[in-house]
Amino acid sequence: MRIFPASIINRRFPLFCTLVLASLLAACASKPLPPTESLNAARDTIARAEQADARQYAGAELEEARAQLVMAEKAVAEESMTEADQLANQSRVAASLAMARTEAAKAAEINREMGRGADALDVEMGRQGEQK
Amino acid sequence: MNALMNSVSLLKKPFGGKTGATIVLSSLLLTACAMAPETPPAALDVRQKLTELQSNPETARNARIELRDAEAAVELAEQPVDNDQTALAEHRVYMADRMVEIARATATTRQMEADRQRMGEERDAARLAARTLEADTARADAESARRSEMAAAATTAKAAEEMQRQIDELEAEATERGLVLTLGDVLFASGSADLQGGSNRNLEKLVDFLSTYPDRDVLIEGHTDNVGSASFNQTLSLQRAESVRRYLTDHGVQGQRLTVSGLGLERPVADNTSAMGRQQNRRVEVIIEN
Repeated sequence: MRIFPASIINRRFPLFCTLVLASLLAACASKPLPPTESLNAARDTIARAEQADARQYAGAELEEARAQLVMAEKAVAEESMTEADQLANQSRVAASLAMARTEAAKAAEINREMGRGADALDVEMGRQGEQK
Repeated sequence: MNALMNSVSLLKKPFGGKTGATIVLSSLLLTACAMAPETPPAALDVRQKLTELQSNPETARNARIELRDAEAAVELAEQPVDNDQTALAEHRVYMADRMVEIARATATTRQMEADRQRMGEERDAARLAARTLEADTARADAESARRSEMAAAATTAKAAEEMQRQIDELEAEATERGLVLTLGDVLFASGSADLQGGSNRNLEKLVDFLSTYPDRDVLIEGHTDNVGSASFNQTLSLQRAESVRRYLTDHGVQGQRLTVSGLGLERPVADNTSAMGRQQNRRVEVIIEN
């Protein structure tokens, strides 16, 4: 009967493993990973928008992207990772919109300049025409 | 056998009960599904915006990729969600809405770029037209300049021709001092400074010439033969030259154009030993300066 304790251990090993796994899983659930990829993507897009002068041309959109990123970081701190991921994605798409609107505003500005140049040219040509 | 049948029926019985429970549960779930999950209303607004953009051919062409991405996002936002998943629904609507707006902005940018290219081409065309006009004008100017130059040259040639004709008419001789017109002594009575007959064909022609070329100054020189004293001849030659001068001023030639000198017997053009030679030496030379 000296063998008895060993047999108990043998029989209970799967249970032991299950307990360990369960505790690990519980640890995972209580300490989930932050959505690093989404957060980085949001930060990158905001940086690119800033480089494209979005502050000047699409300030509201850029502000919104920044606010969403702040909220995402707050959600990470509160360990609401799903919410953090969503907010990070919202931040990224808002920054993209800031960039797209910046480009549109710049293009419009260039076209206005060109229009003015063309008008000046027309005036000049008109004058030349009158001289003849 | 009987025992086996019994066992089957025993097996079957609880199984049948389970099936019934499953059906009841499923129907309950289905009812829940039919009632609770629905398309978020905000997604419909986004869908409407997207449809507007998609129906604009230019936008559809200019932002094809962005519209495709927006379409996927809107489709996701339109998926029914349970009542307790409003946060997810809002997230999806937010994403879809921003992506639709990105497509709109991108389309605007591309349109502006296309406009810019068109404007550039138009401006180039206008510049080309202006330059062509300028070149045409310059060419026309050059042409007219060439014509007037030719006309001027022709006029000059004609004038030169005319002058030559008049010079020929005058029977003047072109020398390096100018045109020399020699008026013979037949104009004057011997020893007299007065012009004979008051007029002379050669002098008339000289007056014509001088009035045609008013910028030509004239030197009038009197010459004599060697008969008589040098001082007498000098005085006589001067008086004869003065007579010619008076004739010219009387016929409208300005006095300041005329310079008079009496050279007496100093410059004979022929031998004074013969009568013929002496006659040739008695003369007034009118030099029309170049």
